[in-house]
Amino acid sequence: MTAWLARRITQAVVTFGVAVALMFVLMRLAPGDPLSRMQEDRMMDPAEIAKTRAIFKLDQPIHRQFAAFVKGVLRGDLGLSIEHGLPVNTLLASRIGPTLLLGGATILLNFTLGLWLGVRQAVRRGSREDRTLTALSLAGYATPSFWLGLVLAWLVGIKLHWLPVAGMQSPLLAPDAPWLARAADIGAHLVLPALTLSIVTIAGTMRYQRAALLEVLRLPYIGTARAKGIPERAVIWRHAWRNALFPVITLFGLWLPLLVTGAVFVEMVFAWPGLGSLAAGAALGRDYPLVMGTALLAAGLVVTASLLTDVAYALLDPRVRYT
Amino acid sequence: MPWTAHLVLAAAVAGVVAARPPCAVAQQEPSSIVIVTGQQATLPVPTLMEGPQATLANNEISDHLFLRLAAIGPELVTSGDRGFQPQLARSWSRRDSLTLVFELDPRARWHDGAPVTARDVTFTLKRAQDRSIAPRLASVTARIARVEAEGDRRVVFRFREVYSEQLYDATFHVPILPAHLLDGLGPSSSAWSAFAGRPVGSGPYRWVRREEGQFIELAANHDFFLGRPGIERVIVRVAVSSDARINLLLAGEADAMDNIPPPTTNLARVEAAPSLRLVPVPSNILGYLLFNQREPGHRDRPHPILADRDVRRALIMALDRDLLIRAVLGPYGHVPFGPVSSQLWIRHGAPRHSRQDQSTARRLLAGRGWVDRNGDGIRENRDGAPLSLRLLVSSSSVARGQMAAIIQEQVRQVGVHVDVVRVEPAVWIERRTSGDFDIDFSSANLDPSPSGLAYSWSCGGPGNVGGYCDPGADSLLQLATASPKADRGLWHSFLRRVEENSPAAFLYAQTFVFAVNRRFREVSIRPVSSWSALWRWPPPGS
Repeated sequence: MTAWLARRITQAVVTFGVAVALMFVLMRLAPGDPLSRMQEDRMMDPAEIAKTRAIFKLDQPIHRQFAAFVKGVLRGDLGLSIEHGLPVNTLLASRIGPTLLLGGATILLNFTLGLWLGVRQAVRRGSREDRTLTALSLAGYATPSFWLGLVLAWLVGIKLHWLPVAGMQSPLLAPDAPWLARAADIGAHLVLPALTLSIVTIAGTMRYQRAALLEVLRLPYIGTARAKGIPERAVIWRHAWRNALFPVITLFGLWLPLLVTGAVFVEMVFAWPGLGSLAAGAALGRDYPLVMGTALLAAGLVVTASLLTDVAYALLDPRVRYT
Repeated sequence: MPWTAHLVLAAAVAGVVAARPPCAVAQQEPSSIVIVTGQQATLPVPTLMEGPQATLANNEISDHLFLRLAAIGPELVTSGDRGFQPQLARSWSRRDSLTLVFELDPRARWHDGAPVTARDVTFTLKRAQDRSIAPRLASVTARIARVEAEGDRRVVFRFREVYSEQLYDATFHVPILPAHLLDGLGPSSSAWSAFAGRPVGSGPYRWVRREEGQFIELAANHDFFLGRPGIERVIVRVAVSSDARINLLLAGEADAMDNIPPPTTNLARVEAAPSLRLVPVPSNILGYLLFNQREPGHRDRPHPILADRDVRRALIMALDRDLLIRAVLGPYGHVPFGPVSSQLWIRHGAPRHSRQDQSTARRLLAGRGWVDRNGDGIRENRDGAPLSLRLLVSSSSVARGQMAAIIQEQVRQVGVHVDVVRVEPAVWIERRTSGDFDIDFSSANLDPSPSGLAYSWSCGGPGNVGGYCDPGADSLLQLATASPKADRGLWHSFLRRVEENSPAAFLYAQTFVFAVNRRFREVSIRPVSSWSALWRWPPPGS
């Protein structure tokens, strides 16, 4: 197991390195220029362009730029964002909290409500409840997140005035307000984006869980358990559900990075200050340092999540053996 | 308990916990204003707003914090010495045609209480003219030969040549910085100093805090020497998506929004809200179709179709520009005469633009040998090559995308085929600047000064990417710029010449539409630096 783990970690590090290097090169090969966005509606002086290129080392050949980037990464310095004018580290640090909050809330909703509903569907397979939940979850899955977000914002925020329509906190709330008031404020702002993301993603969890549990429920040991007179609730939750969790662990591994950098539309619609919209803006504006910063983070998350999934399998599933 | 009941109960609990009183957050504090905008200011410090930092967002915040020696007056006349309003300078006079003398207002103070002195002005101009710190500012202030302090309250500007915009150059480009706080900082360190994170200015509002990606908060400077601001707190909130901005406005979580973007359905939504009023403001945006007169890929050769002035004129005649504006901008725009935005003072009294005249367009094209020879509705030349052009459009603009589709149809009616090529902004600007287009749908953010027209509409202008050149027009431009007084006649001669040459179809001069909550009764929004008059607004309800 130790040797396998060492090999798997090495593999992860290499994958990470290759992904980042590819990203670096592909970004520079793509048409467009980092100074484009600022020139889109403003005329720039040639001297100003030259100075900006020099500051961001854009006037140097690509291998020198890469060497400087790697050197910076090893020092923990990701450089300056061209568009924001702030250190990339600072920008990422300021956005990671809101991102984890939104991603965490969505995952929590998905993997509590989604699993529970998936189990209910499997247990009541073919019933009206099963069919209704399938239809509803697929409808949610088929709904574009930005459209759903706009509808929820209009209905809940503008028409009913129940919840704030955008942002992460009320700017008029004093910064020294009691923490409970601030937490409630952030919580209120979190509801709509988290709900939007959950509605469009929960179908996956439900379908995976339903299929996995149905598979397990067909196995002989479940019949044995029932024959022993074990209550049905215990059969489902204690014996069947645990073994039906493995496909869901894979799903969790796949979603973790997606929820960190993939909530672009929802972040935009709700003006949520997360990494997704930051990364999208950086890619559109060819803000190389910021793109690379978010790419490092995303690649790191994908590789880590994949590694953790494999390790979780190894630890949880006695049938899986790694040599 | 059935599962549906669990769900309903959970939803109800979540709703009760999360819900607050009906939102209208902005209205909880009567003396605050929440302005929602699309971009966050990152470095609102004069002389540091260069390159990527020369953004509208930085300039808007900077104008709350820092004052200039004088501000452009309501007529927006940048020529001569009379169209300006005192700010840090209470008066100015001339020693001769090359020398301007400013008397500083003795009441002016920095937010830390220190007086504003002549040394602050010389320090700021020295930084602004240092190409290693501020290449853009150095370029636009190049005609200022030197700036000297005479005592604490008098500053003397000496210019290299006689021209009509000396006062404009001395005052508009650079708000004044506090020398006593920045003197010791080197040019490279100042951007990251504590000052840049918490700027200290002399303006009506002082810096409070910045939440990255969310908002910036400013507070009234109670000791502001020109009068105490009526509104105590200014929150500039950020939402990149225009949908989110409009939602914040409609939900009452923002009081004002700076420019509601097309389509017109956005305007209709805001207009329908009884709590909001629309405020039209002349903008510096000019939209035009730039005809490339050089062949894409071979800049040394003339364009096979568009080098011909009659073809360019025919294309302009084929367009119903008034219809384009009505369809996409509604009542918020007009067809300009020449490359002139709504803000430029030279637009007043200019001739009217030519109307659509498709029969003249057809005649011009036929006269140049473009005839529909195979009956497919598209004209061909004598060699059978079709009259087909590519229209390059940035995908970032909804308005330009909509207009491009209408333009395609309007020119088809005179037998011209246009392919609309929509590309993302980074690709668009790269292709535009390298001249890789037939027609470019440009949108320029013009200076308030007409002298800036030389950038794109003179033979050697760095922004002249269409290869347009008319030495006669350049002479007129030079004459108008050098005139010691505001001479509209000279400028109109230049504009006429440009229109005759038809280097572009000037489509629209846009009017921005701001939205402001009706609880603010006396609202004044300036065309140049929109919110800089905010401090004069009385508090709501007063």
